[in-house]
Amino acid sequence: MGLFNSTVLDVAIGLIFIYLLLAIICTAANEWLAALTQTRAKFLKKGLKQLLDNQPTKGNSSPDAFIQQFYEHPMVTGMMKDKKHPAYISSRTFAAVVTDLLTVGSEVEADVVDMGEAAEAIPDGDVKKVVMALAQHAKRDGTSSQQALEGWFNDTMDRVTGWYKRRTQLWTFVVALIITVTANADTVSIARRLWRDPVLRSAVVEEAKVRAQKPRPTVSVEYKDEDDPTNPTVTRNEGNQLSVKEEEILGELLGWRGPIKDSLKLETFLGWLLTVLALSMGAPFWFDLLNKIMNVRSAGKSPDETKKPEKPARA
Amino acid sequence: MHSLKRFQVFLLLVSLITSPLLARAEITVALTKGFVKKYKDKATIPTTFSVDKHHNAPNPIGGGSDDGDIHIAGRDSVVLLPMVAEIINGKRENDTFNFLMQTTAGQTVPMTGVWRLWFEHPGSEDQIQGETVPAPTGTNPDHIFEFHPVAKFGSFDCLDSFLPIADQANEFRGYPADKAFGAYEQRPGTITQSNTAIMILSNKAGYNYADFEMRLTGKPKDVGDGYIVLADVFNAGAPANADPLTQEPRRMIFVKGSKPGDKIATMKKGDKLHVLGIPRVNLNEVWAIVSGFQGHDEYSEGGLPYEMIIVALLT
Repeated sequence: MGLFNSTVLDVAIGLIFIYLLLAIICTAANEWLAALTQTRAKFLKKGLKQLLDNQPTKGNSSPDAFIQQFYEHPMVTGMMKDKKHPAYISSRTFAAVVTDLLTVGSEVEADVVDMGEAAEAIPDGDVKKVVMALAQHAKRDGTSSQQALEGWFNDTMDRVTGWYKRRTQLWTFVVALIITVTANADTVSIARRLWRDPVLRSAVVEEAKVRAQKPRPTVSVEYKDEDDPTNPTVTRNEGNQLSVKEEEILGELLGWRGPIKDSLKLETFLGWLLTVLALSMGAPFWFDLLNKIMNVRSAGKSPDETKKPEKPARA
Repeated sequence: MHSLKRFQVFLLLVSLITSPLLARAEITVALTKGFVKKYKDKATIPTTFSVDKHHNAPNPIGGGSDDGDIHIAGRDSVVLLPMVAEIINGKRENDTFNFLMQTTAGQTVPMTGVWRLWFEHPGSEDQIQGETVPAPTGTNPDHIFEFHPVAKFGSFDCLDSFLPIADQANEFRGYPADKAFGAYEQRPGTITQSNTAIMILSNKAGYNYADFEMRLTGKPKDVGDGYIVLADVFNAGAPANADPLTQEPRRMIFVKGSKPGDKIATMKKGDKLHVLGIPRVNLNEVWAIVSGFQGHDEYSEGGLPYEMIIVALLT
């Protein structure tokens, strides 16, 4: 008997298949969550608040007066669709709007020296301090105030991008964890059930074979015009949808049976951890692995499985 | 017997959970069919490039990633993907570099560069042509598309940079042909299509530059902005009866007006040339693949089709 006999291989196929189905569910949940929370726009808003908050203006002593003016500026309102916060603002736009707000109603030109003078004219606040410091640095370095403001914005946005990436990674993990725990997708328990129940194992392998024939779960893109690469519509292909049979298999293998406290053992937590790690690899990875292992299985079928009708003897 | 089975299941779980660590995540780049059709047989793309971030000095010249390039991260008006532009032999391009240093973030510059799709820095998110490209926060953001090498930046001609990458002390040679092409020939790639788009899926690639000898298997074809020729690939200085390193002749891309371009225009079938080249996805072959099947089928049998951009003649 080889180390990886048919039973071991079929349990592996079963686990990979379950990981694939759960990863598909995770992907859908992540996309739904991203659309719902508009995370990128929220992070930009947070970054702008950090840059422009705590600055009163001549006619308004509120600490958020300056940032309010920023959002009311036509260059910014023009980027808001349905009054939603934009997901992106260029450093050039930022610098132009801030320059405009600082020099509005003043005779001074927005050059290196005058940017500091313009900032002096507004009430004390964080923006005033930063702009005056930037103006001094710009004067010393021989750069323009526009460049200095863009640099200030870019430095902050570097941090915002870092926050966004870390938040996305965290949410991907959290979503995988929630799905795993809610469904009680315990790798150890699933492997044990597949090992002990040949009927269930056989049904799972059969469905895995069907899944392996489906398209790889990836994105599909369409454009209004094939010569115009704007406004793409990105959809998940049919490989990202679960069939009724697949849902039934998940229902059979996952879930809580009996009182929760009786089900919780050390190995349950280990099983969840293994599942969460597996889901973090994404559906395309498990789909590829399923296909590869299916090929191994086809190549090493048992004599009973590979028995074919005998060919008629040649005359 | 019982303990053997437990050991088998343990091995199975360990191998399943560690397998993701050995794999690399795959990323999709989506292009309009019109774009592929238009540029599949072109060496370069003229565009308007928005400079976001750039090196303040060219890369040093030596081993590893010290390739002497000037990196410019930005966005453009034609390709509409995350991208960088790379000027090779940066130290030689003083006027271009001085002009670059005077640009402000977001400034647009007319540019022509050799288009290059390659999964060298793919990151972790799919890249869809036409989706909003966030402003890069560094000089080397996640990207699959690049202009490499740049042929013209602003009013500055960079074709004279298509030379061996060297300064007085060092020379950058790229990877030996057998190592580099061994990797290129094994690159995984899956190609799918929708009605209007082509999706190319692969994972992170290595071996950016290759030092090799090409032996022409046909005559160079003038494609307007350059020449394309089929050639077998060998290690530099390989004997005349050596076996080629590639399964079949590969397309070599030369830019008109560059030294390699001027040289290839004079050559004929059977001639050989020692060159420095960088790989890119062969969109002509991608187009041929998607034209060969209908609907949403996928193709992955032949791996990722590639061709070589010739950036310098070597001795």
